[in-house]
Amino acid sequence: MSGPLVIRQQPTAGDIGAIDGQLTDAFAQMRSAVLDGRPVVVVLEDRDLLGQGHPADAAVATALLGIVRAFALEGARDGWRVNAVARRGEDAPVDDAIGGVLAVPTLSGQLIRLGTEHLGKVVV
Amino acid sequence: MNAPGLAVITGGAGGIGAEIGRRLARDGYDLLLVDRDERVADVAAGLPNATAAVADLLDADGPAAVRDAVRDHGGVLRALVNNAGITRDARVRDLDDDAFSLVVRVNLVGSMRLTYGLAGDLADGAAVVNMSSRAGLGNFGQANYVAAKAGLVGFTRALALAWAPRVRVNAVAPGLIDTPMTQAMPDRVRRKLVDRIPAGRIGTPADVAEAVAFLASPASDYVTGQLLLCCGGRSIAA
Repeated sequence: MSGPLVIRQQPTAGDIGAIDGQLTDAFAQMRSAVLDGRPVVVVLEDRDLLGQGHPADAAVATALLGIVRAFALEGARDGWRVNAVARRGEDAPVDDAIGGVLAVPTLSGQLIRLGTEHLGKVVV
Repeated sequence: MNAPGLAVITGGAGGIGAEIGRRLARDGYDLLLVDRDERVADVAAGLPNATAAVADLLDADGPAAVRDAVRDHGGVLRALVNNAGITRDARVRDLDDDAFSLVVRVNLVGSMRLTYGLAGDLADGAAVVNMSSRAGLGNFGQANYVAAKAGLVGFTRALALAWAPRVRVNAVAPGLIDTPMTQAMPDRVRRKLVDRIPAGRIGTPADVAEAVAFLASPASDYVTGQLLLCCGGRSIAA
């Protein structure tokens, strides 16, 4: 067992063909990490979770969040710790949030949203 | 309602797809049922004003084949129902990358490719309905399916914004539905799942078809970018 796995959502540049590869790669990395007992944090773009970016990026963001939830549900008994942090913009600081998520040993399957852009919107 | 035109339904050879066809036929739509399974022709033969197209949406020319069939029909494309989907269930530790990728490509990428492929054919005021799933909120032994169905929700939202106000885009998320897959479950498992549904029963393909028909129709003209959970309340229960 080593340190946590941090996966960051990658922009698709509108290429639908890039979706499958990014999701499968994330799945494989996350599977390897949890089976090694490592916690996972997936960094997402809040704009895409809200559907305010390109549809291909939105699909990736919500699919990654789905993977987080599926892992957390399936690994609850084994203590898998898999969470997501949503930020507003690629340059938004996120390290403190990742550290905070990792500091709570019982946290799993959660989405931590930074900023307030989601307020008043339907959230996923 | 406005005079309906053509509705395209993918996964048209399956039980839910066929039921959606029957329901939209009652609303007066002409139907183009799409499936890679050639038995889709038999389903179409049993419905009024229905034709079939055999196409695999993962093939490079799959969406174009559907588009050609739409244009051959000559009608106005009013509704696209992205219903095609597969499962390859396994626990995370046993789920290989190929099975993960296949489910994502069929259930998510294939739907996206067809939607963009038909973009120019959708009439003003048309509706796209994507078939997501309650499982997209998280489910055991279905990480691939969860990813794909959750991905469809993001796609739905963003496309609704991108295509507004010309075309509405929404999604339906069925819960446990009475299909050959759920009929194959051991009785004990099935009863346990049904016990967790506040509605007190398993859903039917007709339940799903009603939700789709609503989102396809002008009755939902002020609804776009939304996910309609059709799960008997399972998504809010303990």
